Amino acid sequence: MPPLLRVEHLHKTYGHGDIFRDVSFTLDSGETIGLFGMSGSGKSTLGRCLLLLERPSGGKVFFEGTEISKIRGRRLEAIRPRMQMIFQHPEVSLNPRMRLIESVTEPLVYHRGQEREEVFEELQPLIAAVGLRPDQFYSYPNQLSGGEIQRAMMVKIYSLSPKLIVADEPTSMLDMSVQAQVLSLMKDLQRKNDTAVVFISHDPEVMQAMCDRVGVLAEGAFTLMDMSAFSGYAEGLRQ
Amino acid sequence: MKILEVAGLNVTFPTRRGMIRASQNVSFSVDTGEVCVLVGETGSGKSVIGQAILHLLPRTAIVSGSIRYGGQEILSMSEAAYAHLRGREIALIPQNPSGSLDPLMRCGRQIAEVLECREVPRERLSGETGRILSYLNFPDPELTAASYPHELSGGMRQRLTTGIALASEPRLLVADEPTKGLDYAARNASIAMFRTLKEKRHDSILMITHDLELARLIGDTVGVLYSGELVEFGPAAEVFEDPGHPYTKGLIAALPKNGMKPMPGTCPGLSRLPKGCYFRDRCPHPCTEGEDSHPAMLDGSGRWVRCRRFSV
Repeated sequence: MPPLLRVEHLHKTYGHGDIFRDVSFTLDSGETIGLFGMSGSGKSTLGRCLLLLERPSGGKVFFEGTEISKIRGRRLEAIRPRMQMIFQHPEVSLNPRMRLIESVTEPLVYHRGQEREEVFEELQPLIAAVGLRPDQFYSYPNQLSGGEIQRAMMVKIYSLSPKLIVADEPTSMLDMSVQAQVLSLMKDLQRKNDTAVVFISHDPEVMQAMCDRVGVLAEGAFTLMDMSAFSGYAEGLRQ
Repeated sequence: MKILEVAGLNVTFPTRRGMIRASQNVSFSVDTGEVCVLVGETGSGKSVIGQAILHLLPRTAIVSGSIRYGGQEILSMSEAAYAHLRGREIALIPQNPSGSLDPLMRCGRQIAEVLECREVPRERLSGETGRILSYLNFPDPELTAASYPHELSGGMRQRLTTGIALASEPRLLVADEPTKGLDYAARNASIAMFRTLKEKRHDSILMITHDLELARLIGDTVGVLYSGELVEFGPAAEVFEDPGHPYTKGLIAALPKNGMKPMPGTCPGLSRLPKGCYFRDRCPHPCTEGEDSHPAMLDGSGRWVRCRRFSV
């Protein structure tokens, strides 16, 4: 069995210097790897390159054994439902003029061609699991709090049963107590679905709570650390 | 000496969908040379308290209670009289540094402008500016003074707005969410800066934040806000060591370093608050008696806790 995700010598440049260079790692199902770095270190760009939302300048990305950095168009589109991204600003990832029920059912309606009501019915166990009430899905995004929107995003993303999720600072805009709620929900869903997660954050304490290993990005260089090495590195940053 | 005394502060916003009670019966005080931190989550009414102190509330707000600065009542003061205090004696470190700086003016000049208002002689302007910047842990104050805001990082811009506030030599600094949106390194630099202000200059600071760790590291006293009211107030070391209110306990347990144990439920909306204890639905040990009566703030020799189960 090949690893779920294998990254080899990945490299990205915008022409005026490297965003990152020589990024290599593998990730198995159920595992979480963290991407850590300060503002502007390129961790979000790396996350986007892993999902081919942005084209890397060099190197290879393998997903379930297929080299996805080589394919485009229809073939890539067929893989997309199995790899998903959670963004930092959930409120801008939802169409403000669509009720939540329309946004949340859209992926399955699109990928499977099912009816909306049918999909919504199927999603009920997931909606209960994230702690939302079905009636809240008849609201517009601006009528809900940040934590509620991020939970609704979780329903939308997990509806596709993805194998890989790239979470780009999913809780940095949320309150402490809401962050704890959303992250422990993410962990539960990950355990139940055996999902692989790439978790992007600049908070070393959140990293320590969420990840099995951490890749640190600093000035374009990528260093893979186990959790005890990372806690030593984070301690160094505190001084 | 108390520099700031807030007593029974109520702030209500009338809206078409009813009254929003953003701040209810809030009472606390700040001693001279002390750092007082008010901690609260979104919708806890923390920013409204800062705005009330600075006379920056919208005209529609219904305000009652008392705010005394240096013994003088400021809540009912006329705008003309208050204008002599704001920016001179009481200065604000704003929440959004990028929106508060002039993008077309060099950073040093933005500090010097305030010094000119204090009639600092021209030949001393650059020296004074450098002195203020060095307090703020800028590695190269001269380079910073010659830069434009866009050339600084988010953390440096935040410290620069602090410098502008300090330039007026205020007796009270009000800092609104100083670490919001900063990454780990910038936040640490900001915490180190506030430490310097506290230890070397003995500034009186009222800080409003959602950042518990900042409160623990900087605060002499800390107040915890929930749904518009204070639920706990006391010396920071004691509050963090032995929290009295179940909400404070829940917040501390939800920190990543303490294992991120989630609290159940959400805050009640400010327009439809329940009758009794606002925290009742989320409390691990809800009271069985007096459900409809609102708990009072209990005094445990300098520790104030709004919970019937609290005892010293």
